[in-house]
Amino acid sequence: MSQISIARPAPIAFPSRFKPLAVNLNLRAYFLLAPSLVFLVAFTYWPVLQVLWQALHQQDSGHTVFVGLANFTAIFADSAFRNALVNNLIYAVATVVPSLILALGFAITLQQSSWVNGLLRSLIFAPVLVPLIAVSSLFLFIFLPGIGLLDHYLAMLGLAGANWVGDPDIALYSIVGLTIWKNAGYYMLFFLAGLQAIPAEAGEIAMIEGASHWQRLRYVTLPYLHNSLAFVLVIALLNVVTQVDHIFVLTKGGPSESTNLLLFYVYQQAVEHYDIGKASAATVVSLVFLLGLSAVSLRRMEQSAEAQT
Amino acid sequence: MSNRLLSMSALAVAACLTTFGAAQAATNIEMFFPVPVDGQLARDMGTLVKKFNDTHPDIVVTPVFTGSYDDTLIKTNAATKAGKPPAAVIMSANFLTDLVIEGQIQPFDDLIKASGKTDDEFMGQFFKALHPNAVINGNVYGVPFQNSTPLLYYNKEQFKEAGLDPEHPPKTWQELIVAAQKLTKRDGERVTRWGITMPSSYDYCGWLLEALTMSNGGRWFNEDYGGEVYYNAPSTLGAVTFWSDLANKFKVHPTGEQKAPGVSTAFLAGQTAMMVLSTGSLTHVRKNAKFPFGVAFVPSNVRNAVPIGGASLVQPKGLDAEKRKAGWTLITWLTAPEQSGWWSRATGYFAPNKGAYALPDMKEFLAKNPEAKIALEQLEYAKPWFATYKTLAVRKAIEDQMQAVLSGKVEPKQAVETAQKNADEIMRPYVERTALKLPAMN
Repeated sequence: MSQISIARPAPIAFPSRFKPLAVNLNLRAYFLLAPSLVFLVAFTYWPVLQVLWQALHQQDSGHTVFVGLANFTAIFADSAFRNALVNNLIYAVATVVPSLILALGFAITLQQSSWVNGLLRSLIFAPVLVPLIAVSSLFLFIFLPGIGLLDHYLAMLGLAGANWVGDPDIALYSIVGLTIWKNAGYYMLFFLAGLQAIPAEAGEIAMIEGASHWQRLRYVTLPYLHNSLAFVLVIALLNVVTQVDHIFVLTKGGPSESTNLLLFYVYQQAVEHYDIGKASAATVVSLVFLLGLSAVSLRRMEQSAEAQT
Repeated sequence: MSNRLLSMSALAVAACLTTFGAAQAATNIEMFFPVPVDGQLARDMGTLVKKFNDTHPDIVVTPVFTGSYDDTLIKTNAATKAGKPPAAVIMSANFLTDLVIEGQIQPFDDLIKASGKTDDEFMGQFFKALHPNAVINGNVYGVPFQNSTPLLYYNKEQFKEAGLDPEHPPKTWQELIVAAQKLTKRDGERVTRWGITMPSSYDYCGWLLEALTMSNGGRWFNEDYGGEVYYNAPSTLGAVTFWSDLANKFKVHPTGEQKAPGVSTAFLAGQTAMMVLSTGSLTHVRKNAKFPFGVAFVPSNVRNAVPIGGASLVQPKGLDAEKRKAGWTLITWLTAPEQSGWWSRATGYFAPNKGAYALPDMKEFLAKNPEAKIALEQLEYAKPWFATYKTLAVRKAIEDQMQAVLSGKVEPKQAVETAQKNADEIMRPYVERTALKLPAMN
């Protein structure tokens, strides 16, 4: 039954008992971690350092020159970068809020185990299983003006369609719609797990006290789900910055820059402008943004976890 | 986890390749190649390279499929930076000027001289329109491999139904509007069939606008100097306005940005009666059209003229002499008449080597496929493809404006002025260190 004792968080609870073994254990731990560490250093930390170095340098006809923060001032002076930043913010709010609300709604509706709910859960989760790049290729044809699946069904209802990803006014929102469809099922999974952890008595007591559905959600379910919510929020915000497959396939940031996002801007600077300096500076900006975001959210999660215990 | 697995397997493969390479006496080289359509064409390339390896025992070529033209550029740059440049790359022909300015590719002149030819003699085997995108500052940097021009495709059945002569497609902009008006079908407010559709997603947008501008007598860019474009010239303004009128005034062309796959799908589904698309799509349309279709020159306003498109073979800097020579052997073999013709028939691109059309296989093919012949005839009016310093960014400067015009958000006049201003801004560093770098005397 040794497996069970490993799974138990005992060492944290009684640290003093394990102290004499700590050094020994550490060496072994590092030895076991070594293969992953090598790759982590080679493919994560080293590139991060390289990006930082490149962000402070500029290629000038074959020579690399130290330019200080010039790349950063250059990107903030670039209207395309500011446009990408604004687009990314709109995209973040417009995808994360509805995705989380939908995911929570799905999770609460489908939390009881039954074969119908199991089937519905699988259906809602299905889009997560398809790679974003494949989804985007499919949506290219769903979004086609006139003959696409979307316009086809709208026409059956007597509604006029639109040029979903070709009209600069609505292209970003079409991308938002796709992202919500793709991600809501994934977030639902975390909420389902979170709901399982709520003691049944909590809800029953509230019911006996005569709490309405809304009150039970507001005062019982949501407080218990606080941790899941914070975690899903971090994941969702990370996705907003790190996923651009659909931009590549569907719009390439267009039409008229209306769907350009930060990561795609980085790609454009590196590939289309041959400007590694500006690309690195933009990468650093999004990296700092992401790290700050995760730090704040994780901090809050820890604090609330402490407050609960 | 999967990332780590991937990198591990990549390392393992790299290790295998290195040991394998050391054991061989022959020169091992890599060729990076993109294909416009995945699957079949990548296999066709495999067939071609296998034939080369079988007939050249002293060289072993490994073909590396590198995705799209853009991806191929990225991967070539990455490999060159890592000190492992491929010995041959099929590179989008409009990247060459840029690559020369950035110092990433090397000229072939010494290799051509060693083969006992002059540059002119060597380039003489290719169609004249292809030279400016391959010969830069008097040096041969690229050898044309697969090329295209824009072409007007039309649905003959719908022409008949609309009372138009299917054997006489529109030749001028005037005739194009008249035909498109007759072909457009409306169901109340909703359009069920468009007269004409032209793709306006990035890349296609700039290429077709260049075609319209050239058909309007314009030059679009300075083909001898990478720091000038003529976006606010009357010929360009006329072209932007014409495209805008088709959509916004005559309403025979859908508004907003149109994507290339959407345009060909709409044409094949009978929802647009005409379209302008690359000759490279001929094979696809021929295989999938369930109706008789015709092709014609891009209609003109002032003169017949279209830009070329496609790709050339190039060599990055940093190759050792032996690999460079092996790469050159591969490049000359791939662009020789027989291979050039074979690849043309497989893809729908035209063969850049004029000699290909003298071979019996090609003559027979053209007799069976008259559309391919029209694409070839248009070549006589073809001009160079847009290529400047930071080509993609400069092209995007006008594409963003054109897309806004097609969505009715900007007027053509304002669009070309903004595009010119933005393009000048992008090219400024280059202009300042070239055309505006003047001798200073004290």
